[in-house]
Formats: sequence, C-alpha cells, structure tokens
Amino acid sequence: MGSYVIRRLLRTLLVMLGISVVVFAFVRAIPGDPATALLGERATPEAAAALREQLGLNKPWFINFGNPTNPLDAQYPRYVGQLLRGDLGSGLKSNIPVREELASRFPATAELSVAALLFALVVGLPAGIVAALRRNSFWDNAATTVSLVGVSMPVFWLGLLLSYFFAVQLGWLPPSARLGNEYSIEPITGFYVLDALLRGQPAAAWDAVRHLILPAVALGSIPLAIIARITRSSLLEVLGQDYVRTARAKGLAPRHVTIKHALRNALLPVVTVVGLQAGALLGGAVLTETIFSWPGLGSWVYEAISQRDYPVIQGGVIFAALVVSVVNLLVDLSYAALDPRIQYR
Amino acid sequence: MKKLLLTALLTILPTAGAATLVYGANGDPVSLEPGNITDGISILVQHQIYDTLVNFKDGTTDPEPGLATKWTSNANATSWTFTLRQNVKFHDGTPFNADAVVYNFSRWWDPKHPEGFRNQGRTFEIWGQLLGGYKGDATSVVKNIVKVNNTTVRFDLNKPSSVFPEVIGSGYFGIASPTAIKKEGAKYGTPASKPVGTGPFIFQSWRTGDRVTLAPNRNYWGNKPKVDGLVIRAIKDASQRLNELKAGTIDFTSDLTPDALKSIQADRNLVAVKKPSFNVGFLSLNNRNQYLKNDKVREAISMAINRKAIVDAFWNGLGITNASFLPPVLAWANSKNVPATYRYDPAAAKRLLAEAGYPNGFSIDLWYMPVSRPYFPTPKPIAEAIAADLSAIGIKVNLKTEDWAKYLEDRNKEPGFDMYMIGWTGDYGDPDNFYGAYYGPSASDDINWNPPELQRLLEQGRAAVSRADKARVYAQLHEITYKANYRLPIVHSQPLAAARTYVRGWVPSPLGSEAFNNISLVGKR
Repeated sequence: MGSYVIRRLLRTLLVMLGISVVVFAFVRAIPGDPATALLGERATPEAAAALREQLGLNKPWFINFGNPTNPLDAQYPRYVGQLLRGDLGSGLKSNIPVREELASRFPATAELSVAALLFALVVGLPAGIVAALRRNSFWDNAATTVSLVGVSMPVFWLGLLLSYFFAVQLGWLPPSARLGNEYSIEPITGFYVLDALLRGQPAAAWDAVRHLILPAVALGSIPLAIIARITRSSLLEVLGQDYVRTARAKGLAPRHVTIKHALRNALLPVVTVVGLQAGALLGGAVLTETIFSWPGLGSWVYEAISQRDYPVIQGGVIFAALVVSVVNLLVDLSYAALDPRIQYR
Repeated sequence: MKKLLLTALLTILPTAGAATLVYGANGDPVSLEPGNITDGISILVQHQIYDTLVNFKDGTTDPEPGLATKWTSNANATSWTFTLRQNVKFHDGTPFNADAVVYNFSRWWDPKHPEGFRNQGRTFEIWGQLLGGYKGDATSVVKNIVKVNNTTVRFDLNKPSSVFPEVIGSGYFGIASPTAIKKEGAKYGTPASKPVGTGPFIFQSWRTGDRVTLAPNRNYWGNKPKVDGLVIRAIKDASQRLNELKAGTIDFTSDLTPDALKSIQADRNLVAVKKPSFNVGFLSLNNRNQYLKNDKVREAISMAINRKAIVDAFWNGLGITNASFLPPVLAWANSKNVPATYRYDPAAAKRLLAEAGYPNGFSIDLWYMPVSRPYFPTPKPIAEAIAADLSAIGIKVNLKTEDWAKYLEDRNKEPGFDMYMIGWTGDYGDPDNFYGAYYGPSASDDINWNPPELQRLLEQGRAAVSRADKARVYAQLHEITYKANYRLPIVHSQPLAAARTYVRGWVPSPLGSEAFNNISLVGKR
C-alpha cells in the first residue's frame, strides 16, 4: 500500500511536469497575446510591441538560439526555474503573486465544491435508491425527470434563476458573494464557515452558510443528477444478483439486504463517479463562480484566459491538475475500503 | 426539519450596515497603483483613494482645481506651471508637496527611476500612450519636471500641448504617498499592500475577486464623505448586478445592458441613471480593399446604413447618432458645414454604387467584436442589422468574428479587415483624445489612410490654446473625415447605471468614474 502511494505520487510529479509544458505552450499558441488584451482599443502595433518587450514576452519559448552563451535565456526554462523555487510567478499586470492568490482562491472553490457535492450526495443518493427500490413508480419517474432537468439545464441560467427567485423575489438568501459586508473573518483554513466557527463568530458562520446555499445548489445540480442515475442503475443491477436473492431467501429483513448487502456493492461505481465529479466541479465552478461573484479559482483563471495572463493560467491549471490527481488517488484508495477484495501492491 | 430551516431562513433577513455605501462594479480592479492601470474598475477605485492635480466639474469634462489650485502656461503651451494646494496630507500623514508630485510623475516618466520597479511588472503604458513616450524618447511630450519651490511644480514640454492639464487630470494619474511606495516597494498597489493617497476615502482592505473596503477620510480637503464606509464589490455578471440592486445588497451600479432599462423603471425602489455619453462606436473601412478604395462606394455604404433605426432598436433610448466622431459634450469642436446627422437614402446609395461601377454590388467581410463594449453592447445583432441594410443596395456582407485579443491584433495586421466594428471611450475632455486615437500617426494601420494634412491639423489642435482656435482646427478635421467616409460613426451610447432611491447626490462623470464623496444615503435601512 505504502509503496503504491509513493509510486502514484512520483507519477503525479511527472504528470505535473508534462502539464506545465503543455499549458505553457498552449496558452502561448492561443492567438492574441497579453499586450493586445491589456491595451484593448489602444493596441496599436507599436504600443503592443513595446508592452510585449516590457513584459518579457519577446523572448523565445523554450530555447534561445540567438544567445549561444545562454541558450536557456528563454521563457520556459525561466518559469521552471521559478517553479523549482516554489515561485509560481505573478499576475502580468496586477503583479499579485500567483501563490498568494491560489492560497485565498482555492479554499473558496473547495468550500463551494464540497458544499455542492454534499448537496448532490444528500439528495442524489436517496433519490437513486428510492428510484431503484420503487422501480417504475411515481418516485422513480420523478427522480429520473428531475435528474434529466438537472443535467440539461445550463448552470448560468439556473444560477440566475435561483438568485432572482430566492434573493430578489423572496428575499430569503443573498443573491451572490461569499460573505455580507458587515462581517469579516480572519482566515485559518480559508473555508469561511469553518473559520467563522473556529474564531467564535456564529453569526458570520451562518451568514457564510446563507451565501453558500444558492451557488452550491447551482453547482451541485449536475453531479446530483449523475449520482442519482448511477445509484439507480447500479443498485438495480446488484439487486438482481444471486447473492441478494440468497440473502432474501435466508429470510433477512429487506432493509438489511438492501443496505448491508446490495448498497455497499452498488456504491463502487458511485464512488468512481463522485471522484470524477471532483474534477468536473472545478470546471463547473468557472460559471457558477462568475454568476455568484464567488472569489474562487474558476472565475480567476477564466478572467486570466481572456486577459492572456500567462502566469495565472499556468499556475491555476497546474494546481487544478494536481488537485484532480490527488483526488483520483484518494478515490482509488477508497475502493479498498469499500471492497475488501481490492488490494494495492 | 424542513420547517425549521424555512423559519430560520425567514427570521434572519439580510441586514445592511447603517450608512455604508455599496457599489457594484463589473469586476475586480487590476491594481491600485496609479499610472500603472488602464481598466475602468481600477480607475474607479483609485478615484476614491487618490486625487489628481486637476479635477473635472461634476458631470462635465471641464477642468477645475484638484490638488493643484491653479495652472498657467507660456504663450505656446510648452511650459506648464502648477500651484499646489497647501496643508494637504496623505492618509499616512506624509505632507503633500512639490516633492511628492515630482516623485510620482518621475516614476511614470523616467524608465530609470530607482523606484519605478520596471523589472518587476511595472509598465506605466498609459503614460507612454497619452504623453508620447518616456524620458529619453524622441517622441516624449515631457522634457523636464522641475520643483520650483515647495508648492510649485513646472513641466517643460518638447512640443506644445494645450491639453496637458486635462491629460494629467485623468483618473490614471492619482498622486500616491511617496512614503508608502518606498515602504511597500514592488508590492505597492497589490492586495497585500496599503495604497495611500490624499483622496476622500482611505483604503482598508481588498479581498480579490470579492470587494475593496474603504473608510471615509474625515480630514479630506474637499467635500467630506457623507457615509460611514464605502464597499466596492466585484460582481462580474450584469444580470446578477441587477439582482443585487433589486435585493438591496448593493446601493448603486453601472454598466448594465440597455435591455435592463425597462425592468429598472418598473421597480419603484430603483432609479435608472443614464450616464453622459463619452464614447463613439463606429465602422472602419479599409482602403486596401479594392471596392472600399473607391470614394463613391464608401459614401454609398454610409448612406445605406439606417443608423437611427439601429440605435433605436439596440440601445433602448440609451444612445444617439450624429455625424460626428466626437460625443455630444465636445460638440463645440464640430463643423457647422457638416450636417447634424448622416443621410440615410438607400436609393441614392444604390445609384452611387452603380456610378462607381458596381451596379450589382459585391461581396465583402464585416467583422464584429466578440465582446460587449459600452459603445456596442450587442455587437452581433448590430452587425446583422448593418449587413441587412447593405444587402438592400446589393452588397453581400460576410459576418465574421474572432477572439477579442486576436481581433485587436489582426485588424492592424496587413491586409487587415475589410470593414470592422470598433469604438473609443474618452480619457479626457479634448477632441484630440478622440481624433488622435484613430486618425493619428500610429492609428492608420487598419484603414491605410493617413493624409499628411490630417497630421498637420492634429498637431495644430494640440498646440491651440484658446477654445476658439481649437474649434477652428477641429472643424476642419471634422469636414475632412466626414467627407472621407473611412470611419463611419454609428452611435454615442449612454452607459446605463441604476441606484436605489435613497442614494442622493450621485453625478456620474462622462469620463467613466468619479469620487463618491458627494453621495449620501437618505433613509437606507
């Protein structure tokens, strides 16, 4: 088990290096560069060229053939040099260190994703189970319809709708943001709800929860639908298997058969999907964060892409890739916990 | 459980701070360091923290004293002397004086300034853009910056510039505390630093992607702020900004889409605010194109576009169309020999096209921007309307677009776009800022038309000191560019803003943003 984890982590490092090369080249291959994006309507060729030089973007990407004494005087070797020193660079124009920004943005996205996933699990799992147990009933049809709507509704539209209905019309919840103007929470973990509780600010914690609800529902809508559908089909498959029939024949209580025998086995594919959703949530967060003015990773990288802010895009993507790799590793390890037949060597 | 949750939700309704003013901005500032930004949100926040030497009268582009109480020039506008306001202190207690002014301007102008941090991401490109370049450049407008005494600073220029006070009064050039810059170093202006100016509000904190919090400067030299605090929130999505305004979680906002007007007017808690127009949205025609080279073809195109119908349809009463490249506040610089509006006459346009040798028309590309801009909020449908007008006289239009950064780059790359939509929002209240941007020496790459006469007139305009002299020069420019039909003005739009009814004293500036020290909240709960 230990050596397996170490091997996986080493492989992750290699993946990160590969990703750094790919992202580095990709962001520069996209037409349009930071100088024109920054200058906007003012981007005359002369002005753009001057700014490009000031920003150090006129150097070659990988190898500087024009400089035989120092061929590594190029953008990528410099970037990797920085990376190895733990420096992810700074926003091209804002000068904000990428590492500092990641430290404040990632917890925001993580808090939102965890809340969205919780919402998806709490609603999606029971819905899937009920749908499987009461197959073709009203509940099954209802769960299927709701999950279909969840998958097909665009997140930005759902977000605006939720915000309009619950914030503007009913006034129950705030329309967007992470915290009200009247509160301020000194960060410990970066998760506002948790930090407010740790700092003994229950009112602020409640305010953070209220701000979390709508974006979490919007972001969780797609995973919810997927989880409900996978749970249903996986449970149906398991319920039809011999050992379940045997358990029932032995006279075990139906609830016991469902939960202890069937559900545990049926959960394996659900766990895989939840793991995959962790990556999808990071992606989905781009829209949700923009709609709900959520100061997270997604809206930040999205903005950086339109501004061609290379260091931010690179740092954000590499970090997101790292998160997805680690989550996948954790999912793989959790299989062993769920199914004793699985062992890692 | 459900009931419990519902009751809890109902009992804890949103509560707003007593008199904290909350503005909904369409994003985050890029930096809070003056001179190093070009985006509207950074300028808006900086207007609160910093003062400029020259201010503008409320709601106009007319200069009035700021940190400088008066300014005078020599006869040919090559030397400007500014008398500074006395007894003003920066928020950190540093005295405001000639040393502070020289320090700030030198950082922007001198590439070798030891605290310019140019090797650490500082570009100060707006200085180079508006003032011809930096110290040592042959094109630099500024020759020397001199401290005459503790309250007097003189700027010697390489060439005449009658608009110099307006240029340095624009929101880019707030005066920061030298002590703070020295203390914070290259970190200055980032969220980890504390930006310090002399302005009506004092910086408190900046949570990126979320909000900037400011406190009132009770010792402000001008009108003291009337609120207990100011929060500028980043709310990127325009519909969500409107939601926030309706929910009462923000007090006022700008940059709403024209289609929001009706919904604002229908809400009795809100007031729609039409900001004064200070932009132009236009169509550029490229002289490299074999058809567009022909004067009659360009005239026919101009005559075939039903500008009024387009503006009525897409701006919802928030735009005007006239025959000038200049927005209405600069109408004094228009020629009386040019009609007030463009003529719309498809039949005459068709005849002109036939005279030009194209009775059956031709096919041409029209590029529209992929992003919403204040002057063109919905570029694609507007482009479609223009295409429909042109097809009525036989010109088949192929609509094209691409990524915004690429669009901006490709339009200036030979052979450029045949026809494309673009616009301009002014930085300061002088015709040169509009004409210079799109008819100046470096702005001809996209249309390949740059007659020496235009350059001569632009130089003359910059050197003219009295408004009468300026008006004479720009009237000629207006006539030439109107007849040439290379850039066809379509609209001067009025950006849509809105406020809760209890917000009083907000006078939006045509220049995009203003200090919020005159705003009060009457009866905000």
